[in-house]
Amino acid sequence: MGLDEFVGKIKEEFSEDYNVGDLDPDTHIKDMEWWSSMHMLVVIALVDAEYDVMLSPEEVREATSIKSLFEIIKTKK
Amino acid sequence: MDFLELKNKNIIITGASSGIGRETAILLDDLGADLILTGRNLEKLEETKAQLKREPNIFQADLTIEEERTALIASLPKLEGVVNAAGIIYPFPLKFITEKHIKTVFDINFKAQALLNSALLKQKKIAEGCSFVFISSISSQFPYQGGALYTSAKAALEAYARTLALEHSAKKVRSNCISPGLVKTNIFEETLKASSAEELEKYEKNYPLGFGEPIDVANTIAFLLSNRSRWVTGQNIVLDGGLTLGSK
Repeated sequence: MGLDEFVGKIKEEFSEDYNVGDLDPDTHIKDMEWWSSMHMLVVIALVDAEYDVMLSPEEVREATSIKSLFEIIKTKK
Repeated sequence: MDFLELKNKNIIITGASSGIGRETAILLDDLGADLILTGRNLEKLEETKAQLKREPNIFQADLTIEEERTALIASLPKLEGVVNAAGIIYPFPLKFITEKHIKTVFDINFKAQALLNSALLKQKKIAEGCSFVFISSISSQFPYQGGALYTSAKAALEAYARTLALEHSAKKVRSNCISPGLVKTNIFEETLKASSAEELEKYEKNYPLGFGEPIDVANTIAFLLSNRSRWVTGQNIVLDGGLTLGSK
């Protein structure tokens, strides 16, 4: 799975409840207005389901963008 | 006056390598109990031991592994107290839960504890009047987002503890749960990692007496282990600094 597909997965996950039209690889997802600790858990679970990689809350928190989060996943894969 | 009279009582503490288990070990050691401490991490168990005045028996074991559980049980004397403090927190959104997630949480937070305590009874390692203490969580009654697995396992543990109380009362064996709110342990630290500073501040405002300390739980465990609580069984004691006041 590539970066674009990962961004697509995140959009798909949150699109039902939030406006995610502007999300792109450089988005700081945790800076989104609607972001909460529950959304962080959703991202961790999504990555676990799609990549069989378990991210820590710190890794999600410290990622500066969706792209950097994807880089962490690749290193743990 | 030795109010709790726990001196020379054989008491096992699971999850003694940190948090509530460690604090309970320190308190019970101070009260003169003969302790058997178990946990997965030997280094951390040794850290607990280093904080005690007396010499406890240390037994490194992963209680989810049958062979390790069996070896532990075989090494034990007759017990007057069993403190089940082992457990993990595993926040996970409900709709993503799969079999592996259920196994991870239930194996540690319920299955290993149920199998250990049942085997202790079956193998006659339990003295008359023994007190079992299980650590549940206020979240089994008041769940939180992402807590489906943790809270479900704790609810199962509460039901197990009550049944134990019912089935073994003839020998004055007692079994009780403690349901703490947020206590400043390693589990608390994990919760912090998953929460923002704003969320944490909001949580703390819900606690009229503030977050708990491990000693707050350890004090209640000591009471439940002692004969001073001899008429208390099958109960779930809530320790939450007032969190649920007005919620029922």
